[in-house]
Amino acid sequence: MNFQERLADIRARMRDEKVALLVGMHDGAHFIEKPNPVMVLSSFKSLGPAAALLAPDGAMTLVVTPHWDAERAAQCCPDARVVGVDDVAEGVLGEVEGRAAAGTAIATAGLRFLPYDIASHLTFALPGVRSADKLVFDAARAKTADEIASAREATRIAERGYEHLIAIARPGMSEDELAVELKWFMKTLGAEDNFLLLCAGPHNRAVQPSTGRKLETGDIILAEITPSYRGQLAQICRTVVLGKPSQQLSDKYELVVRAMDAGIKAAVPGVAMATVCRAINTVLEAEGYGEYCYPPHIRRRGHGLGFGSIRPGDVALDNITMLERDMVFMIHPNQYLPETGYLLCGEPVLLTEHGAEPLTQQKAALAAVAG
Amino acid sequence: MLTSHPTLLIGPSDWDVDVMPREEFARRIDALWRAFPEAPCAIVYGNPAHHAELAYLTNLVPKLEAAVAILSRSGAHEVHLGGGPNMLGSAKPLTFITDIKPLRGGPAIGRRALEMKEGMPGTPLIIGDGYMPTAFHQGMDEAMGEEALNATAQVWTLMHRSSSHELNAMRESAFALNGAMTAITDAKKAGAGVTEAILAGEREANSRGAQDIRTLFSLDGGRTLQPFTTTLTTRVDPLQVYVAARRFNYWTEGFVALSDNRRPVIARARELLRQALAAIKPNVKTADVMALIYAGSRPYQMHPVTERAIISRLGLALEEPPHTNPGMSFEVGDIYSVRAGLTNGADEHAIVSAMARVREGGTDMLWTA
Repeated sequence: MNFQERLADIRARMRDEKVALLVGMHDGAHFIEKPNPVMVLSSFKSLGPAAALLAPDGAMTLVVTPHWDAERAAQCCPDARVVGVDDVAEGVLGEVEGRAAAGTAIATAGLRFLPYDIASHLTFALPGVRSADKLVFDAARAKTADEIASAREATRIAERGYEHLIAIARPGMSEDELAVELKWFMKTLGAEDNFLLLCAGPHNRAVQPSTGRKLETGDIILAEITPSYRGQLAQICRTVVLGKPSQQLSDKYELVVRAMDAGIKAAVPGVAMATVCRAINTVLEAEGYGEYCYPPHIRRRGHGLGFGSIRPGDVALDNITMLERDMVFMIHPNQYLPETGYLLCGEPVLLTEHGAEPLTQQKAALAAVAG
Repeated sequence: MLTSHPTLLIGPSDWDVDVMPREEFARRIDALWRAFPEAPCAIVYGNPAHHAELAYLTNLVPKLEAAVAILSRSGAHEVHLGGGPNMLGSAKPLTFITDIKPLRGGPAIGRRALEMKEGMPGTPLIIGDGYMPTAFHQGMDEAMGEEALNATAQVWTLMHRSSSHELNAMRESAFALNGAMTAITDAKKAGAGVTEAILAGEREANSRGAQDIRTLFSLDGGRTLQPFTTTLTTRVDPLQVYVAARRFNYWTEGFVALSDNRRPVIARARELLRQALAAIKPNVKTADVMALIYAGSRPYQMHPVTERAIISRLGLALEEPPHTNPGMSFEVGDIYSVRAGLTNGADEHAIVSAMARVREGGTDMLWTA
């Protein structure tokens, strides 16, 4: 599937649902868990709040902030009419108010993710517009060929980043220093953004944002390395020991890798995402860790990868989304075990007709660096 | 300036008691209570993209998900942090507030504010609510059963008065900015491609302790600006660059136009900036200095990137109004970003800027192009 085919699918869905104007909006605060309908509809990653207005005939208007970023948007979307403004709500209303008054069936995507200031302004001015979140994000549940290529490149960058981590991590360095250096290094490889959670400790409760804590011998470093390449995120989850790992730690890490392998094997077209989660849990439950397979220890075993659509959603027991070809998502057991603390282990996968293909060259394995 | 917002804030943000002592926050919170003598508590919202008010009152810059501080008149302040119970540890170094709990949604915040109000006559304050998700806001309002008193604008007013601690933080920020600009200039002179030069600047700012560094650059001689999207080996001249650096939560920013050759538009922009800075004194109207830049722009036009933002206040917020509104007149102790941007609409463009602190009789430069 390419971008134009996805857009054609969205327009067909609009006609089916009698939507005469689709308004996708995003506040420009790009976040791994916040889907971005503007990127789905236009591929444009905005600096500030932005909107993409799509008609069933394919006519597209992009409303972007700040006003001076309009030319970049026009270069990204040569077929769209681009309007540069400094207030996205005013800009959108300027485009749609007349049509709303004339009874045009307008639907919005992304409204519930907007900050109150923008959302309340729009809902007051456009009462009764319906949500098209499902319409837009269902159509983007599988990645386009370009998005898949970008996910592969982002994964390559993540693996290079991980190699760099192993090369430079040492006692006395702060978590922040290590995270900043890794982010910078991956940017030199082309990553325009990075959701890099990195922390360390002798017994981690979870992976968290880095702080000024200094690394110490015996620490277990957790790294969710998540570069974005051309707006597409990919992630690898890795665990590194500063010093010699104990036999127990090595054994437990093998267990979570085995659980991940079971999840990857279970991920095939036509099964529900919940099946993947269950396969991971089954391995861990068989070893007596059943109580650690649920909150507060674990919320999910993976997730979709934005920034556009985050479908197919979480690898969780309550996710009944049926897996399809060209879906890209994370499978990560990322398990807290009482003996070792939290362990990170995860791969990005592309669903093919044969099953889940890890995008990584090197599967997660417990690493050790000199302590 | 608006720049590309990162998906996760990565960089040193721990509260440093030597840089921003506990008394500084006590003074700020006391000023809030003085402005609202009957308020029993204040709900302060912030997220990784918008958190100036939260950082001002608590030092907390949420790196991953939103946070709410509930400030109590009794002094028993709380932080409610998004991301689940396992994230609480990562927030502890970021703030002086020790009572950190998981954020359980708008209704829970509303109920907690009501508990704090118990027995007190006033209405709880709300600060920074414009950035809340709508459902969160509605849930909080419903739980409270009354509308909180919006004190956001009052906090913005308080934030304008820079203390000596804030000035020191801004100077540290300017040190990182200066390092970035020098490194970019040196890299360009050495023949680096555009993103190589930008990345050299970012690395130098990092090495100077920057907690965040954001850049924009031009591939078309300064006509338009763009964020980093991928590496580009292209060498451009002139190279128009924007850099924002953050240290101890405080932002400084700068524009430079770098060229191997003498370019009249750059010289003119620099001269305009010099004149504008010379004109800035306490109580001088900001509009007068803007008019000076407008009037001096001929034969060029104002650059579209800066024409609506010639003078901005800077501090805990980098982006756009209301935080960055310059106000009616220059005030002693305030710190401003002053920009002179020119274009001929075709092939000559330049933006240069300075960070200036107003003092009696003139300005002190924190950084200048």
